[in-house]
Amino acid sequence: MWPFIFRNLLQRLVLLVIVSVIAHSVVHLAPGEPSEVDPANPRMKPEDIVKIREAFHLDDPLYLQYAYWMRDLLTGELKSFKDSQPVLPKIWERFLNSLPLFIVATLIIWTLSFPTGIHAAIRRGSAYDRSTTFVAYTLISVPGFFLSYLVILWVVEWLGVPVIGMRTFGMEEAHWAFRGMDRVWHLVMPSLMSALAGIAVLSRYVRSQMLEVIGQDYVRTARAKGLDEDTVVYRHALRNALLPFVTMFGFLLPGLIGGSVIFEQIFAWPGLGRLGYDAILSRDFPVILTINFIAAALTLAGTFISDILYAVVDPRIRLE
Amino acid sequence: MTLRLKWLLIIAPVVLVLALFQSVFWVPTYEAQTTGNPARLEKFIEASIGDAKILNPILNADTASSGIVDKVFEGLLDLDENLNLRGRLATDWTVTETAYLAVNPRAYFPDGSPVTTGELETRIRRAVTDGTLNSLQDNLIDIRLQPAHERTESISLRSEDDTAISVTVDLHVPERVEFRLRKVDQDFFKRLEVIIGDDYASSAPYDSWIEVEPTNKRNLVAPRFAELLPVFEHNPIIRFNLRNGVHFHDGHEFDAGDVKFTYEAIMDPKNLSPRTSDFEPIKSVRIIAPHVVEVIYKRLFSPAINAWSMGILPEHLLNEDAMRQEMDRRGLSETAREAFGMRDSEFNRKPIGFGPFKFVKWQSDEMIHLTRNDDYWEGPPLYKDYFYRIIPDALTQEVEFRTGAIDTYGTLPHQVARYTDDPAYQSYSSLGLGFTYIGYSNRHPILKDKRVRRALGMAVNVDEIIKYVLYGEGERITGPYPKNTQWYDATVLPLPYDPMAAEALLGEAGWRKNADGWLEKDGQLLEFNLITNNGNLVRKAVLTIAQNNWRKIGIKCNTQLFEWAVLLKDFINPGKFDAVVLGWSMGVDPDLYQIWHSSESGPNQLNFVGYNNPVADDLIVRIRREYDVATQRELTHRLHAVIADDQPYSFLFAPRGTRVLDKKIVMVDEEGKLSRLKQTKTGSIFFYFNRWKKLEHAVEL
Repeated sequence: MWPFIFRNLLQRLVLLVIVSVIAHSVVHLAPGEPSEVDPANPRMKPEDIVKIREAFHLDDPLYLQYAYWMRDLLTGELKSFKDSQPVLPKIWERFLNSLPLFIVATLIIWTLSFPTGIHAAIRRGSAYDRSTTFVAYTLISVPGFFLSYLVILWVVEWLGVPVIGMRTFGMEEAHWAFRGMDRVWHLVMPSLMSALAGIAVLSRYVRSQMLEVIGQDYVRTARAKGLDEDTVVYRHALRNALLPFVTMFGFLLPGLIGGSVIFEQIFAWPGLGRLGYDAILSRDFPVILTINFIAAALTLAGTFISDILYAVVDPRIRLE
Repeated sequence: MTLRLKWLLIIAPVVLVLALFQSVFWVPTYEAQTTGNPARLEKFIEASIGDAKILNPILNADTASSGIVDKVFEGLLDLDENLNLRGRLATDWTVTETAYLAVNPRAYFPDGSPVTTGELETRIRRAVTDGTLNSLQDNLIDIRLQPAHERTESISLRSEDDTAISVTVDLHVPERVEFRLRKVDQDFFKRLEVIIGDDYASSAPYDSWIEVEPTNKRNLVAPRFAELLPVFEHNPIIRFNLRNGVHFHDGHEFDAGDVKFTYEAIMDPKNLSPRTSDFEPIKSVRIIAPHVVEVIYKRLFSPAINAWSMGILPEHLLNEDAMRQEMDRRGLSETAREAFGMRDSEFNRKPIGFGPFKFVKWQSDEMIHLTRNDDYWEGPPLYKDYFYRIIPDALTQEVEFRTGAIDTYGTLPHQVARYTDDPAYQSYSSLGLGFTYIGYSNRHPILKDKRVRRALGMAVNVDEIIKYVLYGEGERITGPYPKNTQWYDATVLPLPYDPMAAEALLGEAGWRKNADGWLEKDGQLLEFNLITNNGNLVRKAVLTIAQNNWRKIGIKCNTQLFEWAVLLKDFINPGKFDAVVLGWSMGVDPDLYQIWHSSESGPNQLNFVGYNNPVADDLIVRIRREYDVATQRELTHRLHAVIADDQPYSFLFAPRGTRVLDKKIVMVDEEGKLSRLKQTKTGSIFFYFNRWKKLEHAVEL
């Protein structure tokens, strides 16, 4: 197993470099200039723009720019074009904002999908199964942003409470319990909305896994032994059906950095997704590239972990 | 165990959902903003689409940052409610002039005798006393002779192969006659023509006055000789008397040193300030006394005074010592220290100024928090806290507004109607400083004909655009100035919407309808492309409506949308387009040089339509050299009429902006009397922000 791990890590490292090179070229070749050197700004004189371009290394050949970026990234001195702040602390700060949203959304997805999916699989073809199928496909098809707007409008019209942002402003002097609960409430809407599609997909997945397993011989054997239905379903069937979900845990990792641009934008959540999105709009190359780099690294790490996990939980699989 | 797993699968989600949703009962609603939280009334919360970038008055260039910077910092001057300059950190100021006339040994007096220093001085002095130069007498303080001297300058320019190079220029400044004047007079040297003749400058011996190093670059610098060492030099001088006893938020007292420091910081190339062009005309800034500062300009450039409304920086926190301390504290590496400029300082994220509000906290993309400056020289504002909330989506901004979580936001045109009649809100409408137009390329073979442009303008139904696209939130405009400034000439009438007359006018220009109904001349269709940027719904609608309106009278117009960056790079900057729908957002000063002067029509310049009218050029230059407001107004009105007549753009409309606020917000005057919020001449309500207060219950006023 160790040689496998070593070889695999090396491959991934090479892949990471390739990804970073491609990302760097794509970002730089796309049309548009960083907004700091935008020639449409009437306040800027050509001389100033030349100076700024020089400071940003914008006129150097691409491979040199890549080298500068890597050097600054690795020495931790990479600065954003937009506000000259160091990039890594900036990303870390946003990451901490996105984290609660990610955790609550993941909790909602994983706790809600399993009961719905299992139940639908056991009562295959029932009215419940058909209606959950319908709801699931509706949720998958309706764009999340559209649904979010509807829900926001509905909540504001009927409950009259604020739902945008990480907290209600102007409550700094209120009791801590109010402030804490206010933060929880502001988490509910965005995490629920970003979880909806996830619930729909994952519960479908649970359902089909369960259906597959329930049709297996060993389940029939278990039933034939005279075990009660709950034991058959939750002990014999479910445990085997869970196997593929181990892989999915690995895929959660890149979700940490990707954030959800759309929901962070709608709910004015100052998270990573928005940082990336704004960076793209203002062509803030260091920020775009670094987020992209971390995302690539996490994706590679995620698939690596799930490979390993899979081998650990499923004795039939060997890593060679 | 199986049973427990089954129940766990059911109980876990139920508990989670209940735990999450119960929190709704703890959150304040619109009606109950103050229950359990009375401090809410002392806080003003404003929503913005975008976050600030950099909180430093000399470095910021975006509206969000400027909004915050204006509250934390203060300039020497600002504009009062009628858009006239008003003293802030400067109590008052005077504008005088020193003019220099270089002695040109190669020139001849009108009577044919050669010019010498002695003769020149004698003749001028005689003319002043004997009444030949009557017009000068009131303005002239004294005349002196300035001895010849040397000066070295280093200038950067673009070489033949378009790379940036730097050359050294040695200037041998000849003897000059110095005139001190009471007020600026742009025609001063014209008045001297009775003595020196009207061709005095053309023979200036620049070969002996100017040396360029390296010498082979001399021809590149040559076009700038007259600018580097003018024969006639105007040096306007502004003397500011500064306010005593004003303190920065950290307690340090403000003095003339801070003004000089701010100027030097802008001009320091390391700081990459986007405002250098505003301060470039300055020759020097001199401290006369601790609270008196004198700014000497290189040439006549009247808009330059407006630049002093920019916030003044605290020298003691940003000078070299302070920067060195910051670098030490942050433990920066050698390479980082070398490149370290004001742009990298932490000051830009926690600024200290002397404005009505002090900076507290900035959480990127979430909010900026300011608190009242109790020592503000004009008296502290009534609000205790100011929050700038970043909500990147216009729809959710409105939703937050309705829950009372924000006090105001930039309302979209279609939302305005919901609030104007609702008694729970108050709204204030004002005309913006920007406008939307269709610009026609002067290089286009068809569109360079003024009659065609006029006909195109007459065929577009602008009133309909305002009514249906802007929901009435706009006004027609006829020229290049913002409608609510004094520079705009209200007597210029808009083009009437008259397709018939437009057709007739095109007929006059030789365009006849062919068999298919399209206009044609010499076998060529009246056809061109109209483009704009993607993502601006109003411009997109204008594009479609114009296309449709023109089609009705037989003009073939093809439309296309491009991403902003592509539009600029491939079409606007190189000037390769036929017609374009765009907008300008204008300042309040009357200088239109960059947008309308013919010298600014090259690639990457703002006169991308290539407008070229010598009369307009002359007016534009006179306006920026005029220091008397009444004369300026007269000139801008003439310029407005000239441009409106040429129709280089179809000037469409200036959008109105409406501010919607909670009705509980009122204004309190010095005696404590409550009134509705007051608007300035431009319609802004925030001018009086420091007198605003939020009541617990709305009252009828």
